[in-house]
Amino acid sequence: MSPPSAGAAELSALLARAADGDRIAFRDFYDRTSAKLFGIILRILIERGEAEDVLQEVFVTIWRKAAEFDPSRASPVTWTATIARNRAIDRLRARGSRPSAPLDEAADVRDESPSADTIIDSGREAARIHAALAALEPRHAAAIRSCYFEGITYEALAEREGVPVGTLKSWVRRGLVRMKADMSAGKAAGDA
Amino acid sequence: MTDRDDPDGMSPDELLAMDVALGALGRDERRAAELRQRSDPAFRAPVEAWTAQLSPLDDDTTPVLPPASVWQGITDEIAPARPAVAAAPARSGWWNSLSLWRGLAFAGTAAAAIALAQIGPAPTPPGAPPQMLVAALAGADGKPLLSAAYDPMRGAVVLTPATQRDDAGKSPELWVIEGDKPPRSLGVIDIHGPNAHAISSQRLAGLKAGAVLAISIEPFGGSPTGLPTGPVVATGKLSAV
Repeated sequence: MSPPSAGAAELSALLARAADGDRIAFRDFYDRTSAKLFGIILRILIERGEAEDVLQEVFVTIWRKAAEFDPSRASPVTWTATIARNRAIDRLRARGSRPSAPLDEAADVRDESPSADTIIDSGREAARIHAALAALEPRHAAAIRSCYFEGITYEALAEREGVPVGTLKSWVRRGLVRMKADMSAGKAAGDA
Repeated sequence: MTDRDDPDGMSPDELLAMDVALGALGRDERRAAELRQRSDPAFRAPVEAWTAQLSPLDDDTTPVLPPASVWQGITDEIAPARPAVAAAPARSGWWNSLSLWRGLAFAGTAAAAIALAQIGPAPTPPGAPPQMLVAALAGADGKPLLSAAYDPMRGAVVLTPATQRDDAGKSPELWVIEGDKPPRSLGVIDIHGPNAHAISSQRLAGLKAGAVLAISIEPFGGSPTGLPTGPVVATGKLSAV
């Protein structure tokens, strides 16, 4: 009923056709998702040529694994974005380093983040997660964002931040648990 | 000690699931966790839940239109026709062959299997699917011994033991037996904790479904003769999935 799930249903249908070898459906799927996935990969890898390689690998993987996609377990967007993030992070780990900015600088950049329009477009879920992040200690929220968007390890981020790894993990994990609680509270309130 | 401040009431697996979904783990831990997700539905579920929880964050990332060369590259790789292996029973993908993994997971502790993945364009002809090979490594009593994941990017196998063995002063060694040929060593391995083992791609090259993997207990440092000399504690046949 809501636009995102209608989109998800269409994407799922395209994937099902791709699983049967329908290249036209796959091209359509690519057109609808590649810019999003490329953005995610590029944000992790920074280097454009490498990000293009990974994007190509990701879509070849999607083509080959389309039959394994199970819409009851994940949305097609989450499924493909997870493949993209994982491939990009694998590449990053293989490379061993990443051009990086400390959290404070990252904090400046990060408010290129969602415009009001984007939030409305992407619906309540995104609004909820932003509200939940905003309710955390700024440094904790920034650590979560760095891990998620940059694909940086706890160890590397702790070093960059000059805090013990245990402290950093604790920021992130406690932050995530609180975020989840806030989001389900928000959802309950929204549904009521 | 450092985990003292972890959120209350969460099991180590729940914490790990969070770390996996966030993408904050180092390489070897990622590999080990990835294999567990494939073999252990009880672990996969929280990873999927956290992944879904975090996925709205992806909307923060500005989409970037990729150059046309990317699509060209994709069509080159998936051409000319959908490869027979993938097309055959359309639903016989890796995911569905997980009955194997699930069976193992339910049979005992964590699943014990070796996953040797040959991913990417490397030795496969253009257009052929990446061939995933798996083998359950279990003792003669059927008891799983270990699980492993192969990282094709560096030719390393990450091994995660399902049970503890006390082989003090000895070295477990991994072998592959292809047809009638004598066992070929893939090197001495450590089966006491999650470990990455670099195995040269030369040694892994040509591994095919039907070959048998075996672990023998050798004198410290490995077999002195180049062939297994000690007891074989686990074997498993590689099969394509």
